[in-house]
Amino acid sequence: MRQWLRIAFPRNYLDRRKRAGFLFVLPALLFFGSVFILPLAQSIMYSFYKIAPGGASEFVGLRLYEKVLTDSTFWTAVQNTVQLLLFSVPTTVVCALAVALGLNRIANLKWRNLWASMYFLPFATSLVAAALIWQWIYEPVYGFMNYALSFVGIPPQKWLQSLFQVRPAIAVVSVWVRIGFDTMIFLAALQSIPEEYYEAARIDGANAFQKLWYVTLPLLNAQIIMVCILELIFNFKIFDQVYATTQGGPASASQTVIMLLYDTAFKFFRFGDASVMAVFVFVTLMTITLLQWRIFRKPVEY
Amino acid sequence: MSVILAAAMVAAVIPDTSFAQQKKLVLWTHWEQNPDFNKWYEAKGKEFAKKTGYEVEVVTIPYQGYEAKYLAAFMAKNSAPDMFMGMTHQWCGQYDFCDRMPADLAKIYDDNLPKYMVGVGKWKDVRYGIPIEHGNFQQMYINVDMFKKAGLNPDDPPKTMTEFLATLKKLTIADPKGGEPTQVGFAIRSKGHPVGITDKFLPFAHAFGARLLSPDMEKATGYANSPQMVAALTYFGDLVLKDKVASLAFGNPEDAFGQKRAAVIFRESWFFGWLKKNAPDVNFKVYALPCEKACPGAGALFPWTDLVYKNSPNKQVAWEFYRFISNANDDMDHHQSQGILPVWTANLDSAYVKSRPDYQSTKDMLAQPVPPTYFHPKSNELATAFGEAVVGVLFGKGQPKPLLDEAAAKMDRILKD
Amino acid sequence: MANGTASGSTEIEAIVPVRGRAARTVLTSGQVRFRWLITLGIACGAIVVFFPFFWMAITSLKTAPEIQRVPLQIAPDHWLNLANYVEVFKRENFLRYLLNSALVASIAAVSSVVVSSLAGFGFAKYHFPGRDVFFLAIVGILMVPFQSVVVPLYVWMNRLGLLDTYAGIVAPDLVSVFGVFLMRQSIEMIPNDYIDAARMDGSSELRIFFEVILPSVKPAIATLLIIKFMWSWNEFFWPMVVISSPQMKVVTMGLMSFTNMYFIEYNLLTAAAVISILPILVIFVTLQRWVVQAVVMSGLKG
Repeated sequence: MRQWLRIAFPRNYLDRRKRAGFLFVLPALLFFGSVFILPLAQSIMYSFYKIAPGGASEFVGLRLYEKVLTDSTFWTAVQNTVQLLLFSVPTTVVCALAVALGLNRIANLKWRNLWASMYFLPFATSLVAAALIWQWIYEPVYGFMNYALSFVGIPPQKWLQSLFQVRPAIAVVSVWVRIGFDTMIFLAALQSIPEEYYEAARIDGANAFQKLWYVTLPLLNAQIIMVCILELIFNFKIFDQVYATTQGGPASASQTVIMLLYDTAFKFFRFGDASVMAVFVFVTLMTITLLQWRIFRKPVEY
Repeated sequence: MSVILAAAMVAAVIPDTSFAQQKKLVLWTHWEQNPDFNKWYEAKGKEFAKKTGYEVEVVTIPYQGYEAKYLAAFMAKNSAPDMFMGMTHQWCGQYDFCDRMPADLAKIYDDNLPKYMVGVGKWKDVRYGIPIEHGNFQQMYINVDMFKKAGLNPDDPPKTMTEFLATLKKLTIADPKGGEPTQVGFAIRSKGHPVGITDKFLPFAHAFGARLLSPDMEKATGYANSPQMVAALTYFGDLVLKDKVASLAFGNPEDAFGQKRAAVIFRESWFFGWLKKNAPDVNFKVYALPCEKACPGAGALFPWTDLVYKNSPNKQVAWEFYRFISNANDDMDHHQSQGILPVWTANLDSAYVKSRPDYQSTKDMLAQPVPPTYFHPKSNELATAFGEAVVGVLFGKGQPKPLLDEAAAKMDRILKD
Repeated sequence: MANGTASGSTEIEAIVPVRGRAARTVLTSGQVRFRWLITLGIACGAIVVFFPFFWMAITSLKTAPEIQRVPLQIAPDHWLNLANYVEVFKRENFLRYLLNSALVASIAAVSSVVVSSLAGFGFAKYHFPGRDVFFLAIVGILMVPFQSVVVPLYVWMNRLGLLDTYAGIVAPDLVSVFGVFLMRQSIEMIPNDYIDAARMDGSSELRIFFEVILPSVKPAIATLLIIKFMWSWNEFFWPMVVISSPQMKVVTMGLMSFTNMYFIEYNLLTAAAVISILPILVIFVTLQRWVVQAVVMSGLKG
């Protein structure tokens, strides 16, 4: 409390600096507060209420939490989401890093921009359009995937129709859409690394791999963490691709948490249950993010 | 950049007004695939405006996510439409967003709708909505050329499920190497949301004399897992697993039929319009669905109706508009403009309807007894739970009886909640 | 020129990218081969990533029966069949949708950059009470599933009178969590000495922001602009819920009008998707050049 008073009424230079910092952050806080605070609070409130037929709502305390968190359908959805995550997040981050490193080495700027644009293009499509195009590519009979595979002798696969292939197949769509985004971030960061560091490493006799491991990656540490966190969050909340194509099928193999949340809220009219799921998602993501932040964040000397 | 900012500020401040002073009724619909049907309301609205001063504006909402938009608007109240298209048992049963239809108008509909449709638009015997879709029940489409090639008579379709299976076997061309068949008899729906899967399975269930819920819709156990239902699901699953006359690897059933890789499909009346556009070279005929213990009849899980929002300040005028277009001629005009089936009994024998390929088959199916309907507010959730059993069987995740037992228990839990 | 060396590999003079500029250094032939491999890898990857677009563009030139055709045929019957494009504009007021999306996305992008860079500066270079908590709160916004907040948000927007207006469409999009994240990372990389030097010269904090910070993070700003523009351009759910008048619709809603509960009109959908990507391509290409310029200029500082 005292600290806040000193921000409001700065007594010395340091206090004024702290106030300046706070003021810089204030617009963002104000915006988020004014737009989201009320809806967020209401959404959490819903998780304690049940809507009865006819529209009236009754307070039920933690009963819905018990109901949702013991429902096997819910945990199947969580499991599916985690499996999707395990496919898409590492793949996206590693591929984006590799591509960014490769792009960074291309001398000719015109070519570099061309290739970079091609990687970035998927991000320019809406998730739904992307999912629908991929659904069509995955079509077992007249899709391009099986057509191409037939040239190397692989029999047609069921892809989105298969219980086991559906999750990796959807993960591929997510990777495809987001790889350009992460590549751009890494590329921008790579271009900001002063050449002196590489020179120093070269003088010390480092080869390419050692330069990568000891110079580049640590300097990119902050970006890598940021990308990991963002990818985790976005892929955990995966919805549009699944909704537009498999709708959770086949046999719930691709039903993700958010898909279940949407169905529960808008097709089954159980807003309270859906809000419980939302709280679950929030708590889970926050916990994982905090862990990632604490464990992997290394201070770097500039 | 500053130009953009300036334009933005201007745009944000000036509300976008189109119908500036004109009074109007707003109707929301998610039938984006029927633009002519939607425009007809507006054309009629202009006539209506001459009498009352109110025009009609139709706003199309994307089907994906429409429930969220409807719910948000209804809960915010003053941004809600005056009229909207939706399922009665959801918006009037689960929620209380609908206005009751005036008694005189309700009587007009009760008197003029085909028997199976009278219940559509009603909740607890009170009418709230006007059914807008006839022919929203599955019928049997067959590929004439494929029938002929298999030595079958395309004018003599199978009439029972047993005959049906025999026919499908003749129409399936297996792969000598043991892979997926090159041609299947039946285009089965196996992908997508469980609700859709339940919808497509229902004719089989009803043909075997089974029903999803008790007649009072209070219980599922004993009905959803009855011996008849098990028989129906076994038959259905065997199509894929044992008899191999249907395959899960064929993707979209509509595409399979259109590409002449499947000889028979069960689809609603919108299908032949799709065929004309996407697969004009398919030579097809439409017949009533095969029966077994009972006939599937004309039933549907998704009865779309036109409703009026309870808290609309213009609801009296809205009902006036509905009254204005509630006559056989307008019904005919309206549906013919889009090429779909009219709803009034008087129109079911008109020249337009007679010229459609599904005329006779529709008549045959309407002559059958009305199948069970499940207009329950929780119909989506119940159908999802049931659909999981159907999909489970198709994908080999279990046997019909235990999966159905599980589904029935789940459905009971949903009903009791 | 190639010179022999003791190890037997040839030395080659080559052009190597250094902080966006090309600089001449000496490489071994092994290293040159390595670079060529990288370029090849990048190029192949780009082509694979680009393929679905190619597919999408090809499909937009086919008629519906052509698309259904089995066995698969890659080329359309008539290469200049623009009937689908004509139909798209006939069925929907697509030009208006493009304008609406452009306006909304521009506002979102610019506003995001302004607020995010301010906030990023505050988070990166200042210490004030609650700094980390506030940052986590902002990142936390991203962790809330939007589907659970949409109804209360809509009701709130309604109370503010912003429904069906440009302000209402853009409201949740005005600040980007990702933007705050990115700006914070980028600004952290700026050596503290620069800031301290400016302070000693007597600059106010705000002047430091404009004269020291902003010029140093131009690549990040450009990245954020592009990404935020694209992100906002491809938003579907919120615009769909908040827009009710046909003339306020955005591009994504136009796209979705070619899908319905029964079937997807792939020929029209792909044509519409191609139309909706073109403006983004233009923006990306323009801004890309600016990024390159910015990096080159900052490279001279090194």
